[in-house]
Amino acid sequence: MSQNLGRIQRKEMLLAYALLLPSLVFLAAFTYWPIVRSIWFSLNDVLLGDPDIFWLGAENYLRLLNDRLFWKVLGNTAFYTFTSVPLSIAAALLLAVALDSKLRGMAFYRSAFFYPVMIPSVAAGMVWVFLYAPGYGPINEALTGLGLPRLDWLYDSKWALPAIVIMSIWKYSGYFMLILLAALKLVPSDLYEAARLDGVSAFDRLVHITIPMISPTLYFVIIIGTLHSYQIFDYVYVMTQGGPADSTNVLTFYIYQNGFQYQDIGYASALANALLIFVLGLIGLVSLTLGRRVHYLGER
Amino acid sequence: MALDTPLSPEMTAAPPVARRSNWRRALKGQWLHVIMLPLSLLWLCPLIWIAVTSLKTSAEVFDPAAGFFPATPKFSNYPSTLSVAPFGKYLVNSIIVTSSILAGQLVTITLAAYAFARLNFPGKNLLFTLFLLQVMFPIYAIFLTNFVTLREMGLVNTIPAMIVPFVASGYGTFMLRQSFRQVPSELSDAARLDGCNHLEILWHVYLPLVKPTLLAFAIISVVTHWNDYMWPLLVTNSEAIRTLPIGLGLLAKADSGADWPRLMAGTTIVVSPLLILFVIFQRRFIDSFMHTGVK
Repeated sequence: MSQNLGRIQRKEMLLAYALLLPSLVFLAAFTYWPIVRSIWFSLNDVLLGDPDIFWLGAENYLRLLNDRLFWKVLGNTAFYTFTSVPLSIAAALLLAVALDSKLRGMAFYRSAFFYPVMIPSVAAGMVWVFLYAPGYGPINEALTGLGLPRLDWLYDSKWALPAIVIMSIWKYSGYFMLILLAALKLVPSDLYEAARLDGVSAFDRLVHITIPMISPTLYFVIIIGTLHSYQIFDYVYVMTQGGPADSTNVLTFYIYQNGFQYQDIGYASALANALLIFVLGLIGLVSLTLGRRVHYLGER
Repeated sequence: MALDTPLSPEMTAAPPVARRSNWRRALKGQWLHVIMLPLSLLWLCPLIWIAVTSLKTSAEVFDPAAGFFPATPKFSNYPSTLSVAPFGKYLVNSIIVTSSILAGQLVTITLAAYAFARLNFPGKNLLFTLFLLQVMFPIYAIFLTNFVTLREMGLVNTIPAMIVPFVASGYGTFMLRQSFRQVPSELSDAARLDGCNHLEILWHVYLPLVKPTLLAFAIISVVTHWNDYMWPLLVTNSEAIRTLPIGLGLLAKADSGADWPRLMAGTTIVVSPLLILFVIFQRRFIDSFMHTGVK
């Protein structure tokens, strides 16, 4: 009997591995192997297309620590992540709360805020290059109309990165808004009724009821937003090529420059590992600070 | 919303005071339109600019005094765009790449999700963690070594190069596993008693029940890979296999920002397929993206 059971279990086990095999082959080849390899590459002198590899040890990493451009690029990456993610999520939260209040024309608003997600990053980047154009761009025309000074936007090393942040808010808020909207629908409305009867202000209701109630989703959105912030490569490539004066050069783009333009795979791999550490550190930080404070209410 | 519901008998019979408060309640909150309407128009601005600019002449674009609309819509910008860039070819390539990725993903995630949801085997938790890790290592973080690998395989500048890194999906496996777990086990037990094996149960019992999840995943996957820029950019360098976003990027490079009307006509061509589908199947798209966050 138990022998029979063992055979069934073994059959189930073999079937399970067979079902996982197709995924595992591709995951191994294009997710895990590249990580292992990039650690190996970073310890060597590797040139693109050159079969000769020379052991360097930690040299690429020492070079990285002394590379002033690396620190600047890391700063830019951090600036982009720490502004674009919180700002687009804050905008998304306000939009979601507004739309959740039984506003008429919901379908129109939802689509109006969500459609940028459907637009390819290259197209989005291109349109915003036009919108930001210093001489004839509509944004500067609007600023003049409002009596404000015109800016050089993507041509100004102070404003180029913030300009990309503004574009990101337009591009991603709608997506986060939809996810938050789904969570808001699950908040019991009698909570709000009770708070309203007690004379709690709209702002306090947001801070003390809405945000705690949807905190698991908010947490999820922060993680998704952080992962999405990689996509800044597309915008930098299309809009600025890292300029002016490397003010929009970010880690993904710097890896590309070193690996593809200078063909220095070893150093680029060290940079790629730095990026992975940066992102993992960020996600670790988020889950340690916010993840612990997330309230899981009710069974879903 | 409140105004949409037909008046019930109690409401029509209510005294005037109560009815007025109904009205007030209906109007209450609607003041938000004062903020939301301009804001939504602001959000639509880039799209409006794409469309309007694609019908202007170059002179009109650079002249601030020319006004917002073109004097006469110049539809010939579209044929002239199509004559410099083979968008038809790009479109076919985009369709091939996106649908191949989706087809591959549907096979891999269905099989893997079933194993994680319904089978017991050693190393299950470890393997599941490995699948989830993929979510954190998107192509943007590992593109460099993937490029080297594909180069060694001789796949650079081929259609498969744009497909293979995305065939397995940790995210899709996770999504589908959650749905499989919600299928009542009585159903599969009954099928088992009828003599079905695991694969038959998966095909006849599970898959029909998780169609909404499959559709949601399909929509997200198509939107993601249809719009993909970085990876196809890195692994292609010939006209014959370029996708729509890459074609658009090249057009921009060739124009170097001088010919905005033609570039915006190209942009219109590139953004249209998804936006048209989005308008037609709005509810499906919205639902798919909406429930990515609610597990």
